[in-house]
Amino acid sequence: MNNTILSITIALIFGIGTFLILRRDIIKIIIGLSLISHAVNMLIVSTGVFDGEKAPIITDSHHGSGSEIIFTDKLSEGILAPIVPSGMETPFVDPLVQALVLTAIVISLATTAFILILAYRIHEEYGTTDIRKLRRLRG
Amino acid sequence: MNIQEHLPILVIAIPILMSALMIMLRSRPTFQKTLNIIVSALILIMSVILLLQVWNSGIQVYEVGEWGKYGIMLVADLLGSGMVVLSSGISLLALIYSLDYIEGKSLNTTYHSLFNLLVAGLNGTFLTGDIFNMFVFFEILLLSSCGLVVASENGGVTKVSDKMEATFKYLILNIIGSMLMLVAVASLYATVGTLNMADLSVKISALSQAGTMPWHIYFIALLFIIVFGNKAAIFPLHYWLPDVHPTAPSPISAMLSGVMIKVGAYGILRIYFLVFKDALFLLQPIIILLALITIAIGAIAAVGQKDVKRLLAYSSVSQIGYVFLGIGMGTAYALAASLVYLVNHAIAKSMLFLTSGGIIHHAGTRDMHQMGGMVKSAPLMSSMFLIGAMSIAGLPPLGGFIAKFVLFDAAILGEYYLPVLIGFAFAVFTIFYMFRAWLLMFWGEVRDSEKYGPYSSHGLSPMITVPIIILAAAVLVLGVYSEPLIALSSEIANQLLDPQPYINAVLGGSVR
Repeated sequence: MNNTILSITIALIFGIGTFLILRRDIIKIIIGLSLISHAVNMLIVSTGVFDGEKAPIITDSHHGSGSEIIFTDKLSEGILAPIVPSGMETPFVDPLVQALVLTAIVISLATTAFILILAYRIHEEYGTTDIRKLRRLRG
Repeated sequence: MNIQEHLPILVIAIPILMSALMIMLRSRPTFQKTLNIIVSALILIMSVILLLQVWNSGIQVYEVGEWGKYGIMLVADLLGSGMVVLSSGISLLALIYSLDYIEGKSLNTTYHSLFNLLVAGLNGTFLTGDIFNMFVFFEILLLSSCGLVVASENGGVTKVSDKMEATFKYLILNIIGSMLMLVAVASLYATVGTLNMADLSVKISALSQAGTMPWHIYFIALLFIIVFGNKAAIFPLHYWLPDVHPTAPSPISAMLSGVMIKVGAYGILRIYFLVFKDALFLLQPIIILLALITIAIGAIAAVGQKDVKRLLAYSSVSQIGYVFLGIGMGTAYALAASLVYLVNHAIAKSMLFLTSGGIIHHAGTRDMHQMGGMVKSAPLMSSMFLIGAMSIAGLPPLGGFIAKFVLFDAAILGEYYLPVLIGFAFAVFTIFYMFRAWLLMFWGEVRDSEKYGPYSSHGLSPMITVPIIILAAAVLVLGVYSEPLIALSSEIANQLLDPQPYINAVLGGSVR
């Protein structure tokens, strides 16, 4: 249930972002790009083992032989690590996706800052933010 | 603590460090320039040592942070370290060229810093063994190249508003490409739970052999065509290139057209032949089709141009199509041919863009119809442009001839007769538009050479001519004595088709 709502949310944000990118105003395009980057961040979070209440900390008790989480590959048996059997209660969430999302957020902050400054300079040069009037190059 | 073990991280870390240092040294321009040239030459020497080391003793693996395959790894195989040598060579020459070409105010403040970031991004992309890390280096490349495209040159050859508009297109299209790459990377992570490319390769081939390969792996592979096709500007995604590459200052155009679009070709080679080798049967016809359309569209559009840099940019679109044609055919000989083509195009096209900077400053205009008879007043530029044009057009004895010959030979041996026919037809187009440009600019009546256009002219200095002459010598040497390059490319192609040594080097003994 939780995952279904999450998927629908990601899809909706992607859709709204794409709609905004296809508008004519530069500012709307930039807002659309930010929305798409948020949707992608949510997608990355949802690819990890996702549960609302747990922390990304693996203690020794999880790493021992008693737990069902597999940490090393056994390719001959078709087991790919790190993996959690379906239906099993996970004691932690995936720590890697948070690192990935943090990187993606920082990068999207940098690109958004750059593109906002560029939009400001374009407004200074052309006196408009309508991309139909920005056609001096032939493309 | 042997310094040679640390070469893969040094060629990335030193430019990043220099980029911070250059901002601090902005009040001492002379020291800044000297230091940057020395460090660039040092990076070139280090990359050559790295290539020799890889050639002699196999693939070098560098674990950053000792986390094994769960952390970030730098892997220097022959393809990666060869591309690093190519990019650091061209970037050293472009840097020397830009010291006199870029306007002083822009040069002393941010130019050196951004240029070092660009070098770091290129080296990082070529050496990383981690697919998410490749995304991070793509973003470093994107932002630093955007900052460099808007740098202003001496004489105001390009209007500021043009630069803004071109950068806006470049930035928007490449951000969308990066977002698609993140979606693809996240989907790969959700499917097989790893980001290391060698690990991905092992797990996907294990899934494929067990017969449980999920169907969406094919869609992820198709998404990567969009991502790398956008970087390399192949057919449906090439519209930004003819705006961005001409509006950038000439040394940056040389970097963009010479090395940056090769990043897309490198990504396709790396990702498809390592990770998605089980999906290649589906992808190869698509790549060949897109490559042929790219060749045709680039060549046809280049014929009608009157701006010299725009013609060269459309020519880049056409030539990257030939590289992708070789990649699409996928035999060992075709891959080697495609790599030979890539190196030859990188050197000849960067030389042509550097030469076009000199031509524009001599003539004071970018419109080829307003130039004419410059063969007497600019003999050096004229002969250099002729060498570059002959190499791109594929006339012997220059490097481009060997590249085209090997590529068509590989295609005929692989029985791809229709692609050869189309490629050959548009190779004739290449000869036509390149010599039309040369005739328009250097032959014919001498025009009023002082007052062509609104730009102030800027004399040629050794800083500008020496890099062009070095690149022209490289083009000649690659044409006359091409055996080492072909041998290296064949070795790289064999490594690409058999990735087991790569996987063993990355995964062997690294699991904690």
